[in-house]
Amino acid sequence: MPSCYAGLTTALLRPLLFLAILACAHMPTGFAQSSAFSPAAEDPALQQSLRSKYEQHYRAGISRLPATYKKDYENIYRQRWDHIRTVFDKKEIYTAKAAQQYLDALVAAIVKGNPILQDSVFHCYFSRSGIPNASYLGEGLILFNMGLFCKLENESQAAFVICHEIAHYFLQHSEHGIERYVSTLNSEAVQKELRRIRRSEYGKRALVEKLVKGITFGSRRHSRDHESQADSMAVELMRNTPFDVTGALASLAILDRIDTDTLNTAACLEQLFNAKEYPFRKKWIAREEGLLGGHAHLERDSVLEDSLKTHPDCRLRIQLLEPLVNRYKTAGKAVSPVDGEKFAALCHTFAYEIVEYAYVSDNYTRSLYHTIALLQAHPEDPYLVTQVGRILNSCYAAQQEHTLGKRIELPSPGFSPGYNLLLQFIQNLYLEDFAAISYYYLHRHAGRLGAYPAFTKAYNTSFHEIKQ
Amino acid sequence: MIKQLIAAALLFCTLGLHAQSKLSVENVYAAYLRNSGTIMENNQIKGYFFLYQSDKVNRSTNEYTLQILDENLNKVKDIKFQDSRKLSLLEAAYNGSSLSFLFKNEDNRTLDMKVYGIDGQLKYTYSREYTKKTDALMKRYETMHTDEGTNQNVFDLGEQGYVSVLPLRDGRTYTYEVDYFSSASKKQWTYIPSDDEERFANAEYLGSTDSLIILEVMKRNKLMSGKTTSHLVGINFVTKKKVFELDWENDKFLLVPSNIVTVKGSNKILVMGSYFDKGDNVAKDHSKGLAVYEMDGKGHVLNKTYNSWALDFARHLPSTTKGKVDRVGFLYIHKMIQAPGGKMFAVGEGYKRKASAGGIALTALNAAAGGYNGAVGVTKIVTTDLVVMEFNDKYKLTNATIYEKRDNDAEVSGMSDYYSQHMIAMYLKAAGAFDYEFTTGDAGNSNFTICYSDWVKGADYKGKTFNTLRYNGTRFTQDKIELKSKASKMQVFPAKAGSVMILEYFKKEKRLDLRLEKLG
Repeated sequence: MPSCYAGLTTALLRPLLFLAILACAHMPTGFAQSSAFSPAAEDPALQQSLRSKYEQHYRAGISRLPATYKKDYENIYRQRWDHIRTVFDKKEIYTAKAAQQYLDALVAAIVKGNPILQDSVFHCYFSRSGIPNASYLGEGLILFNMGLFCKLENESQAAFVICHEIAHYFLQHSEHGIERYVSTLNSEAVQKELRRIRRSEYGKRALVEKLVKGITFGSRRHSRDHESQADSMAVELMRNTPFDVTGALASLAILDRIDTDTLNTAACLEQLFNAKEYPFRKKWIAREEGLLGGHAHLERDSVLEDSLKTHPDCRLRIQLLEPLVNRYKTAGKAVSPVDGEKFAALCHTFAYEIVEYAYVSDNYTRSLYHTIALLQAHPEDPYLVTQVGRILNSCYAAQQEHTLGKRIELPSPGFSPGYNLLLQFIQNLYLEDFAAISYYYLHRHAGRLGAYPAFTKAYNTSFHEIKQ
Repeated sequence: MIKQLIAAALLFCTLGLHAQSKLSVENVYAAYLRNSGTIMENNQIKGYFFLYQSDKVNRSTNEYTLQILDENLNKVKDIKFQDSRKLSLLEAAYNGSSLSFLFKNEDNRTLDMKVYGIDGQLKYTYSREYTKKTDALMKRYETMHTDEGTNQNVFDLGEQGYVSVLPLRDGRTYTYEVDYFSSASKKQWTYIPSDDEERFANAEYLGSTDSLIILEVMKRNKLMSGKTTSHLVGINFVTKKKVFELDWENDKFLLVPSNIVTVKGSNKILVMGSYFDKGDNVAKDHSKGLAVYEMDGKGHVLNKTYNSWALDFARHLPSTTKGKVDRVGFLYIHKMIQAPGGKMFAVGEGYKRKASAGGIALTALNAAAGGYNGAVGVTKIVTTDLVVMEFNDKYKLTNATIYEKRDNDAEVSGMSDYYSQHMIAMYLKAAGAFDYEFTTGDAGNSNFTICYSDWVKGADYKGKTFNTLRYNGTRFTQDKIELKSKASKMQVFPAKAGSVMILEYFKKEKRLDLRLEKLG
């Protein structure tokens, strides 16, 4: 079946060229450049100095490791450091001064109310990751992902998240976990069992699996216990601060529903990419339902999955925490006592920073998904409109260079259905589709956004690509 | 190669669990990869399988884990089972509702076809003993090359089940058998040709319809003339009966079918292939051109269209006689593609005989020493350009384009001096000496991509390239991937429709990257 794009001959290109020139030459004044989001500039010097600081901290820690099983400890601490190093290598830390100052203010409010923390050496940073999470990485480094922050409603909820991670740091959960792991594997019982397995000629797999399951289940159970401990301590820390302790329950409730896919991807894609000149085609979102097409519904071993969970269910966490929160809650506490306006502004900004970070860290599909989700609330937003074109243009260029596979995710039964459909959409497009969809999508906005330099750049790129 | 390397990659993944201690899990236990390969449906790659020996159960039994990956390389199923020690997985196919695996069990000397539901539950096992007769099959698995990197003997028949076409040899008699395996109920039957005159018969599966298995069978009867004849055989897999066997011996021309296409919404089959003069030996003589026969399900030919080298091809290609194109040489037709709107395309690759300077010198030296070394020929065979031919809805040639590539020497040793062009082409094909790699496209071929390798020497790049010719419904566009990168090794393999799998190995970092790339 000949594609619609097939007829794009020189005759058709002429009016396109004219339109592009027109769009560039007669920039409408309806767009105010200041209203467009602009990602915060990176601070490579700061990134480097932070990396050096944490590396020094790691090396100092290594030199203090116990002599017994030192090599085992070193290996695990090295793996932990490798993970931290990757965070710096991927420029995940958000270095914008104002945001860091705000986060420091939240942390300071927590520390001020809790003298036990005053001598502690830890730092909290925003991560540009869109994954709704926060984590204590080790070496006194706490990351608060933008993907979680921008889903929260107030500072008290954010404070609970920070307090939870501080608790992990304070209670040395990571270090205790490592210690338990090393001593378990070196224990006489485990070594004896490993020797027995080595000697066995038959049935090794079942024996190994049994042993590994036992160790893993034990470690995951401890991990779940650690989470509950961290929750409790977080509330204890919060009660001494100006934050509202009920924020703890509210943030857990948000976490409970945070992975729910609410975007109707099929409808969004059709609405965005149904240009008169290049109509939306159902085959762009066609998917194979069988076992091998990337959209299979795989059976899950729920008993095994429950045993392997590192975190208890949020509903269970709420249930466990509720009595404590009810005991400590006091009427009249502000939900955002530090700077509510700044909190709201950062939530807004971070939703955009996530889009940008996914794109610059070469995950075009994640960036497109975040962009489309945001466009539902801000359909005329100059940055988001431009970003759609920018991603499609980049897909075109990467496919030409045979590197698109490095920059997109493939459909997988593990992804949410909405995101998976977007991945299938990208799989179903041909090179010329990327160019044409981008061009005609941007063309629809050209009259309004012609004065926005980023838009003009993307529009011109799409024009050059469609011309090819 | 793909199998070993991918296998290595996945093995590393599965051995991820390790402990940091005196004794660790990884030094007391390891799973070994036995086999890996692609899972095919309707001639397209739909997934991959990896068979691991995951344990020893007792002296005679092992535990195996069959890992199934989908077309996007996601692990979707682990199937554990016990079987004898000497087990290998030959091929796998998928029909949307089940998966079939053909195992070779050397302990029991059986070929076992196991059909699994998509829930991973074993539905049916069909076993047959293998004897000396199937040595040819085993040899084929060890040595033969498939251009598409795909199945040789096991194919899906849609929701009905699967078919395997096995070559058999008994002394000097070569024959074949067709096995049908139902995936809907436990039902199996075997078709063995009953023609006593068949002293040499080699069957190749061409495709299937709702009820027919269609084979191309090459026969030679040394008791008779020793001439090779080509037959189109249709077997009804519902009635288990041969519906037709056509050799066109009484026609004006003989047809050697190479592809069939079932015309959607009708009972028609298009049969495409080279045609020869009546009385020709199709293994030795030159073909007259390419023909397309339109047939019904009963084997009745409804329409015949011929495109001759001398007339039709000569209009589009330089100076064609006896199938030989100037500078290109003889054409070997790798693939015929039925596109929407009645258009059809044929992909050919040139090959020709050339004087071999080294061969002449060695032969002269041998002769001077009073000897003769038949392994060294005075001529050599080179593969030349790729030719894409386009036919209209009446199956008449409307265009032919030569895509130049470097002439590549093919290792055919002394045979290049004596064998016919046709035999040489068959040898080149079997040995994988052609540069054509595979064709990948969507189900209806509205978009398809012809892939071939080349070697280039330019100002910016010198080395092997992976080239594509993509048809987007109206025109072809060329693209190439340079196979020299920062990686120590880079290879391209067939993957799901419209994509290739790129493997990069970084020796220094001991890293193996595997990714799917959409073809431009």
